[in-house]
Amino acid sequence: MNQQRWRLCASLCGAGLLALLIFPKAQAAQPPDPLNSVMWDYTRNIFIGDADYRFSQAIKVDVPAFAEDPTQVPITIDARAFQGRIQRMVVWADLNPIQHIFNYYPSAGASPKVSLRIKVQQSTAVRAAVLTHAGEWHVGYANLDAAGGGCTTPSMGNADPYWQSHLGEVKARRFATDTGEGARYKFRVIHPMDTGLVDAIPEFYLQQVHLKSPEGETVVRMELSPPVAENPVITFDLTDDRKGYSLWLRDNGGNEFEQAL
Amino acid sequence: MKYLSGWILLWLALPVQAALEYDLQAEQVARNTWFVEGKTEDFSQENGGNIVNTAFIVTAEGVIVLDTGVSKRYGEALRQLIESTTDQPMRLIINTHQHPDHFLGNQAFADVPIAALEQTREQIRRNGDAFAENMYRLVGDWMRGTDVVVPSQTLTPGIIDIGGHRLEWLALSGHSGADLVLFDHTTGVLFPFDMVFYQRALTTPHTPGLMQWHQELEQLRAIPFTLMLPGHGPRVEDGRALDQMQAYLEWLDRVLTDAAEQGLSMTETMALPIPATFDSIALRRAEFERTVFHLYPDYEQAVFEP
Ligand SMILES: [Zn+2]
Repeated sequence: MNQQRWRLCASLCGAGLLALLIFPKAQAAQPPDPLNSVMWDYTRNIFIGDADYRFSQAIKVDVPAFAEDPTQVPITIDARAFQGRIQRMVVWADLNPIQHIFNYYPSAGASPKVSLRIKVQQSTAVRAAVLTHAGEWHVGYANLDAAGGGCTTPSMGNADPYWQSHLGEVKARRFATDTGEGARYKFRVIHPMDTGLVDAIPEFYLQQVHLKSPEGETVVRMELSPPVAENPVITFDLTDDRKGYSLWLRDNGGNEFEQAL
Repeated sequence: MKYLSGWILLWLALPVQAALEYDLQAEQVARNTWFVEGKTEDFSQENGGNIVNTAFIVTAEGVIVLDTGVSKRYGEALRQLIESTTDQPMRLIINTHQHPDHFLGNQAFADVPIAALEQTREQIRRNGDAFAENMYRLVGDWMRGTDVVVPSQTLTPGIIDIGGHRLEWLALSGHSGADLVLFDHTTGVLFPFDMVFYQRALTTPHTPGLMQWHQELEQLRAIPFTLMLPGHGPRVEDGRALDQMQAYLEWLDRVLTDAAEQGLSMTETMALPIPATFDSIALRRAEFERTVFHLYPDYEQAVFEP
């Protein structure tokens, strides 16, 4: 449609330059969704607004072939191709009742690769949109095949009050990275991550995750939403290989947790 | 009139629904012993869930049916097949463990005693409906009319003589928490059921542990069988299926342990290479991913402990 109008105008006006002026560049920089999700225009509007964007295979969104357990679906976002240029990364699932999964803010010392587990309600596109310091949006994507139910299944914790006496308990370990440089941190925190979508169980989830350097500077900051799976297991990579890092967490109930790593 | 012709056109345009028939074949593999082999595939709308092996023994006191398949329709086809093979009446139906492809054909045998291990009966009572619902989603219309029939009797492990067959029932647990194994001393046929998958990747949703499963297979090696009929995959006359099972279980346990030690995430672990030794095993990649889903969190948990 736009293409046709473009050609028509170009021939009528006899000047491509004029056509460019008439049709703002936004048209060309808002390409159609390679995954053909009916929700793309809606969700991108929520998360990146009206801005120009491009789809990018350089941002790797790894998901399993099938969501065997829709309450604990592992995803890995690898945006190392944009190392040092990332202002913010937003990750969401088009067809989840709560689309937003997390925001990720790396500082110097972070290697932008992050793994965690999520809940999905049905098969959906998963997006990882990177906003660079230069103000460009690059969008990685993958299709996740699922039979669903993850968001409207009560957390296991609700049947088992274990979490009540262990809320915020962190187990963590530092590892070598796959490149042999820097360090990897993996941790698991006890939290029900209730979505508020299940009868009479209010929303209760971890909102803030900060990974702090030995000096107390936040090297990675994340904002989580309830689709992050119960008892989150999160893996961060750093280019900094010093020890002495710590983790700080806060949930929407105002509970704060801190743990040396 | 306009509407009517529209409807007729619509009706004519509908594809002709192919009749859903399992086309089961019984192969006589030993004296009085018949094997009904399923495909080494995953559940699909095409195969109707006929991915499981069933079997029956025609004793002088009636037929013993070993598992009833995935649906009411499968159960009915199996019963028809048995009745076209022998005039002996149905004597006893066995459900070997809690998985849906092994007991959802029970309706076709509801007039016959259906026996399972006590724990299996409990598991079917608890999980049966959820399993059936899942099967409807996976194979669709093949499941029509299928309802859960909980086994009516408890099978006690040990030796019983029925109609000229000395049958030894063993209770193991490696595959699903309660797994029956049958050795027919009279024919030398070993029925490990889902304790053994051969040339088809094993499944792990309810295993109590890979190495426990591995150890229990050691017990099967001690049995002097001349023919083994696995729960999934082709029959085999020697220890090759046990070799494959144990090698694969050992590899799984090692690869998950190493991945957890290296701090790999679940998706990174799912992408690890599967050794070429296992190239002959169908569905190895898909089942490996599923196994990582089922078991990796526990392996991860183990390395968090200081
Ligand atoms: Zn099974």
